[in-house]
Amino acid sequence: MRRNQRATRLFTGALALPLAAALIAGCSSTNDPAASKDAEPVAGGTLVYASGDAEPSCLDPHVGGNYPQALVASQFMESLFTKDAEGKIIPWLAEKTEVSTDGLTRTITVRDGITFHDGTKLTSEAIKANIEHLQNPNTASSTGYLAVGKVDRIKLVDELTAELKLSAPDNALLESLSMPWTAIQSPQGLKRDQAANCAAPAGTGPFKVESWDRQQAVNLVRYEDYVSPAADAERASATSYLDGITWRFIPEAASRYAALQSGEVDVIDNPQPDTISTAADNGLGHLDAPRPGASNRLELNSSKAPFDDVRVREAFMHSVDVNSGINSLYFNTAKRSYSLLSSVEPLGISDESKFTTDATKANELLDAAGWTQRDSEGYRVKDGKRLTLKFPVSTNQSVPAEQSLFEQMQAAAKPVGFEIKIELLDLSSWYGALAKHEYDLVSAPYTKVGPSVLRILFHSDSTVPAPSGYFANNAQVKDPKLDRLLVDAEQTNDETERAELYKQAQQIVLDGYYVMPLYDQQNHFLYSKNVHGMGQTTAVSSPIYYNVFLDK
Amino acid sequence: MSRTAKILSLLFIAFWVLTAFVPALIAPADPLAINPSQAFQAPSGAHIFGTDESGRDVFTRVIHGAGDSLYIGLAATALGMGLALVLGTAAALAPRWLDEVILRVLEALYSVPSLLMALLIIAFTGPGVGPAIVAVGLSTAPGYARLVRSQIRTLKNSEMLEAATVLGRGTWRKVRNHLVPNALQPLLALVTLGIGQAVIWAAALSFLGLGTPPPAPEWGAMLSAGRTYLHLAWWLSFFPGLAIVVVAAGATLIGRALGGKVKAI
Amino acid sequence: MKLLAWLGRKVGGALVVLWLVATAIFIGVRLIPGDPAEAIMGGPGSQASAEALANARSEYGLDLPIVSQYFLFLAKLIRLDFGTSYSFKDPVLQIMGEVLPPTINLALMALAVAWLLALLLALLAMRANKFGQLLGNAVEIVAAAVPHFWLGAVLIMLFSSMLGWLPAVANGTAAGLVLPVLTLALPLAGFLTQLMRDSLNTAMGSQFALAARARGESRLTVFRRHGLRHAALPALGLTGWAFSSLLSGAVVVEAIFARPGLGRSLLSAVLARDIPMVTGIALFSALVYIVVMALTEAIERLIDPAGAES
Repeated sequence: MRRNQRATRLFTGALALPLAAALIAGCSSTNDPAASKDAEPVAGGTLVYASGDAEPSCLDPHVGGNYPQALVASQFMESLFTKDAEGKIIPWLAEKTEVSTDGLTRTITVRDGITFHDGTKLTSEAIKANIEHLQNPNTASSTGYLAVGKVDRIKLVDELTAELKLSAPDNALLESLSMPWTAIQSPQGLKRDQAANCAAPAGTGPFKVESWDRQQAVNLVRYEDYVSPAADAERASATSYLDGITWRFIPEAASRYAALQSGEVDVIDNPQPDTISTAADNGLGHLDAPRPGASNRLELNSSKAPFDDVRVREAFMHSVDVNSGINSLYFNTAKRSYSLLSSVEPLGISDESKFTTDATKANELLDAAGWTQRDSEGYRVKDGKRLTLKFPVSTNQSVPAEQSLFEQMQAAAKPVGFEIKIELLDLSSWYGALAKHEYDLVSAPYTKVGPSVLRILFHSDSTVPAPSGYFANNAQVKDPKLDRLLVDAEQTNDETERAELYKQAQQIVLDGYYVMPLYDQQNHFLYSKNVHGMGQTTAVSSPIYYNVFLDK
Repeated sequence: MSRTAKILSLLFIAFWVLTAFVPALIAPADPLAINPSQAFQAPSGAHIFGTDESGRDVFTRVIHGAGDSLYIGLAATALGMGLALVLGTAAALAPRWLDEVILRVLEALYSVPSLLMALLIIAFTGPGVGPAIVAVGLSTAPGYARLVRSQIRTLKNSEMLEAATVLGRGTWRKVRNHLVPNALQPLLALVTLGIGQAVIWAAALSFLGLGTPPPAPEWGAMLSAGRTYLHLAWWLSFFPGLAIVVVAAGATLIGRALGGKVKAI
Repeated sequence: MKLLAWLGRKVGGALVVLWLVATAIFIGVRLIPGDPAEAIMGGPGSQASAEALANARSEYGLDLPIVSQYFLFLAKLIRLDFGTSYSFKDPVLQIMGEVLPPTINLALMALAVAWLLALLLALLAMRANKFGQLLGNAVEIVAAAVPHFWLGAVLIMLFSSMLGWLPAVANGTAAGLVLPVLTLALPLAGFLTQLMRDSLNTAMGSQFALAARARGESRLTVFRRHGLRHAALPALGLTGWAFSSLLSGAVVVEAIFARPGLGRSLLSAVLARDIPMVTGIALFSALVYIVVMALTEAIERLIDPAGAES
């Protein structure tokens, strides 16, 4: 085979892949009530899963691209790459990959012998069809579309190999291709009309979609011809232990937990923090899998008053103490973060010094910034205008504990002189408020694999709205030096240089007091004691049930 | 209405009016004062209704929330009554065809139940206190309007009115001095029943996240927030719920004492 | 022929009401600030692509003058073409067909249970002593004043979490229906009982009833032959309203008990600003009310042909 000079990251099939157990991706941890390590896997049974998220409108994660879609699609679709236990990107549906010296040609070879649920064989054709699907405006992909943004053309070299021609070097491409939102579907399946593909996408995963009863459940069944990219000699059969999964949607947290307790469902997500802290006592298992990408943070709109003044931003950081609130509202299940990135991102840096609670300092800064007067209610005023911060909060994105945390912030900021106006909005109105710049504070999660998320969030290009009005750079950071760092970081082939560039970039954002990190994007799952083998997750920390079995 | 009943009703109304306008008299503490270290305290001597997830005193919040909660109920009822008087009087006094048209409009309004009407309005306007008032008001109007209409039609032919006509009083004066006041009495009874229902529907909207914004201690919002912690801290939902029930039940009792028969709103 | 005339009047009236509701929605959509195409697609949060917006524009004729749009809108409704739900990606009519039966089921059962409970309580009240009457009175009034969302949560906590007798969420079995039906039925029962007792007291105190008692007939017999009809009539007249209000309650109950149904669909449609779906549901609930009203009127006539209409 041809060798390019200084080709980086050459993966070959000859590398003995570790046992499936070692492929537990991300930094998830489990707390199992039963010593499942000793239990013998048994085949059979249907797992009942209850999600607290809104039911997706389309099961194809290419369309749109949110986390609820990722959670369910992780069962029936797989990606070209994934993360191993140490968090390194390894090939999955791909067998090997290499990139040219100039970084503009990425070659990917898929594994032989894998078929989609509709019988089509996995070939390089699938890579082309899928990437084109993501780039097609009719698909209306938001997450996947951005991920493959630099792919210009695709050339099929042979049955299993494709060459991706890039418009610029992209060292985040493999990370992008490890997410469920860029998972690989059957090209034949993609040719159907969108409604048909939304109802039952054809992937390669260990489960396939049998039916979807709206508002009731998505019914997944075992895919009998499943071939696992990671050959596990200890496993009797390559297929899943479970006969199937019933994927339900129960939006009310209390009802969902009650259903878990009574045994009506086996696994739930989005559990309330107090139930997490008492899980072990109640005989329930707990999987903690923080999402990659950005941390859960508060962003300050620096494009207009009052946050266009860095002193006011810094004053805000010092006037609220969120730590005691986080501990009490989250029952010590969420750890305070001082980093822009999730704790599962190895290249994240923390800076606690920026976020000390210091009311004196806050007052000094506000005085220096000209907000010296106070009105009758105690809020600061300048030139007749009150120091008001508009804070739209999406009831979809922010759980009750987080909403209460923001209320506490509101009360804490008052003595210093800030007036925070919280508006609880449904998702649609929330996007509307952001698009119209009617916000000073906002909390908008962003899940992506890898530090390239920083470019999406903080590059000045991201302040330019898409046709729908959406933009990702809520803090409105427009710093040329930062822009250059972020672009260079994505183009270098040198790991050390990449780490250093991202470090500098993060420091600039932290120094500018644009963002107040709160905690990791919480991603907890509770399960009953007859569920064994939990722990394996995808690169975006969504659990996979391939190794899970029930004892009933 | 018996004497004791009258006194009790007045006391009841006075209490809630006081609570709505000067809550500090009954609960002097600050309903917004957070205290995370005191979160989730069960009812005790220090906090007779306990504390919530941010350490705020629930009793204070329930008392201070009366204003917000009752405001929506009262405003909606006022809107409904106003609409009802206009439409009902017009329908009763107007020529046949206009009467039919108004009846159809009333039926259309009546055919969409309150919460659905509220949701429909919110689908267009977005959530908020205003839409909640309009929605509940619009859905209660037809019930009242029908009563007004039938009352006025009966009175139209009454002797009192004949006398007034003979005496040469103008139409407008007749409406103002005779028809409307006499139509009002049974309406009043119905309205007190309606206020209770209006408070409940407004709370339902807050419960669904479509009403008053935080940190306002509106009862429906408190109930909704408390539901999350029901198994941990039952008092968070129980006391606001109790307040709603007390107001609605009390209003019903007063309404019935005023002579209102239980009727559909 | 009287029946046909009556039927004709009912259908005519129904069409007028539906037309009014449809027109109100048409105006409502056009009143939303911003691009109506975007509003139909779910508002700014939908992030609809340019193509999708263009499609919506042509399908709804948004480039035509407003009068033409209105007639296009009505024409589609007559053909039962409600369009495609933006958030569910299926035709609205199809989705409604799927979610209607569970809600109707729930509402009918709740109505039946409420009725039975009310009758039972009214009967009991008749034979109770003064204290019992007072207690009954209090219970009814409180029951009618209890909000659904509170009652549902309390019932789950009691019967599912604490006692473990009943399931907390819908699971397709009959047991899964008990708590949701109770949550809907209890407040309505409280209301109906008050209503029935009022009329029952009037009826039993009437000359006719007193005369019968004087003749030596037992209270139960008098109730059966005379009181029941008078007690039931006003409650029956309210059935249309009661059913409508049950549909309202279903929004909350379906959310709490995770049941599929119209209420839950409406809630998510409203949150997603899915106008086609909202239109379909609005028209449908108006239709349901009209049908139920017509049915109850028919039943009323059967029971009491001499009954006067207000």
